[in-house]
Amino acid sequence: MGTAEEDYNFVFKVVLIGESGVGKTNLLSRFTRNEFNHDSRTTIGVEFSTRTVMVGNAMVKAQIWDTAGLERYRAITSAYYRGAVGALLVFDITKHQTYDVVERWLKELYDHAEATIIVMLVGNKTDLAQAREVPTEEAKMFAENNGLLFIETSALDSTNVEQAFETILRDIFSKVQKQQQRSPQDNAVSLSSENPHGGSQTPEEKRACCISL
Amino acid sequence: MAAESSKQFWKRSAKLPGSIQPVYGAQHPPLDPRLTKNFIKERSKGNTLPLKNKKASSFHEFARNTSDAWDIGDDEDEDFSSSFQTLNSKVAKATAAQVLENHSKLRVKPERAQSALSDMPTNCKVIKSSSEAQLSRSPEDACVRNALHKQQSLPLRPIIPLVARISDQNASGAPPMTVREKTRLEKFRQLLSSHNTDLDELRKCSWPGVPREVRPVTWRLLSGYLPANKERRKLTLQRKREEYFGFIEQYYDSRNEEHHQDTYRQIHIDIPRTNPLIPLFQQPLVQEIFERILFIWAIRHPASGYVQGINDLVTPFFVVFLSEHVEEDVENFDVTTLSQDVLRSIEADSFWCMSKLLDGIQDNYTFAQPGIQKKVKALEELVSRIDEQVHNHFRKYEVEYLQFAFRWMNNLLMRELPLRCTIRLWDTYQSEPEGFSHFHLYVCAAFLIKWRKEILDEEDFQVNPWGAAPLVGRRVGDIIAPVGWFMCRWLNIKQ
Repeated sequence: MGTAEEDYNFVFKVVLIGESGVGKTNLLSRFTRNEFNHDSRTTIGVEFSTRTVMVGNAMVKAQIWDTAGLERYRAITSAYYRGAVGALLVFDITKHQTYDVVERWLKELYDHAEATIIVMLVGNKTDLAQAREVPTEEAKMFAENNGLLFIETSALDSTNVEQAFETILRDIFSKVQKQQQRSPQDNAVSLSSENPHGGSQTPEEKRACCISL
Repeated sequence: MAAESSKQFWKRSAKLPGSIQPVYGAQHPPLDPRLTKNFIKERSKGNTLPLKNKKASSFHEFARNTSDAWDIGDDEDEDFSSSFQTLNSKVAKATAAQVLENHSKLRVKPERAQSALSDMPTNCKVIKSSSEAQLSRSPEDACVRNALHKQQSLPLRPIIPLVARISDQNASGAPPMTVREKTRLEKFRQLLSSHNTDLDELRKCSWPGVPREVRPVTWRLLSGYLPANKERRKLTLQRKREEYFGFIEQYYDSRNEEHHQDTYRQIHIDIPRTNPLIPLFQQPLVQEIFERILFIWAIRHPASGYVQGINDLVTPFFVVFLSEHVEEDVENFDVTTLSQDVLRSIEADSFWCMSKLLDGIQDNYTFAQPGIQKKVKALEELVSRIDEQVHNHFRKYEVEYLQFAFRWMNNLLMRELPLRCTIRLWDTYQSEPEGFSHFHLYVCAAFLIKWRKEILDEEDFQVNPWGAAPLVGRRVGDIIAPVGWFMCRWLNIKQ
């Protein structure tokens, strides 16, 4: 028997992308461990953490991949987009430059990830409201025009972090459900807790489990 | 049949890691003729059977004789020897034994080492048990795993001091020098003060560790920054320091110009995130020094420019050159108490020595980081040969080497080791011809093999492939971190 943590029906791979220093690592640690580290070091390469959450009536294991924001690493990190069903594109609301390059990140994401990937634009560091350089409306508009979800968060004071991840996971989940309805053979998969990876799997689940470089 | 193909394999791959020739790249540890002979004999027979009783017992002897090198407790001692015993390559055995034998020859008698290390046991025990805790996967353990999460997320920082021991070394309460240490130090002093320092001899002496008193000048020589000729050194230093500050004068103002803006911005946001927990590195003066060093290096090396990780590589040089002027606690030292001249010399020397280091690994940081890709592949190849079981385990659970080893290569294990261990490791790296590139690979392999038992014990893999999660990304660092301690002891870091 697995533990509660291991009982899940789906694995969703979600990648965190965006410029260096926007707070990707702390968003991850806030969501997966409810921690914030003032002294975090730069992320080198790729790291990941997981958390299992209830979405609708299913247990979803969110596997969040944190990548370095530095451009030089992209040759390596782009490989990690494979199999991702969701992406949080993070910028720092107090640094306009990190928002200016959002389009570049989006292009890279679409170049490497599957077209069906669900993307959420995340303006982080709302706790530094007095230093804001990117107006909420501007970013929101950009998100709408580009078919992205949008939210503003603070990994430091926890504002909207849960909500951000929950929203994107729910979106992914409903997409999976629609797919299952369209292809009835997949409905046979009622992934049991004893053997969550045995037998047939939904495309998402399978994809998320087969990460290779 | 198997023996035959294996023999051919080794023949075929003579250039690849694992041949006895470079002794894992180690040029200076004296070879044990007995082992070399055995190795060659076995190799010529193409014998691939696992090393049995006789060899194992002789290896056990080595392990016993050198138990001080890695571990303190008996249990750990056993763990150490058994982990090596199961390696299925004779090459690994022979080399490991050579290193250990060498260590035991060069170094202390076990009982003295035990006492010298007596300030460590509690730390080591704590680390070990926490690493075991991280790895426990039985159902009843699983329920406490959430509680352990917190512990995991702070990768043992409160337990492993980064430079604390450096300051210990400098403190007046440091253990008195033994006769052997005095002799060693004397030997270094002799070499360093001779008209023309014999660099080969210096490398040989440095391989098992450089006494801290002579480390700054030894590093300047080993890195190729200072000439072997004693009379020329003063002038060289003067000239190089002037040259560096010439660069500053010429280029540093361009940091705010458009074409260098991105480079400077990246350096600027990374510096506070370099060694964030050590007060020394939070001082504005120190951060400015780091910024200048990194910016100048970056714009003078446009093929790579600044890449995250390079910032870490300045640290050991800075600390070593600073320690020349600091008697007390380095990590809390207030650099404003130093004269401008001293600070300038530390800065320039750090720049030049770091440049020399990077010359040897620049392809780690050029576009697409081919050096790292190549080394990670070589590590995979090496592990597949010296420990097929671990290798297959990774494959089975889809753990990619790049996922954990990228950082090991990119930051030269500095994220996995306390700084004082890095400094000690660099004594050896700098006495190797390709220490930071080639030799480093074998150190990485040693890390991995040291933890083979824990890696293979991941039974939960059976049920849940993502039980592998603790072994990838950040978590490997956590698991590997305690190896730093063993590594330090293996490398004879004096407490």
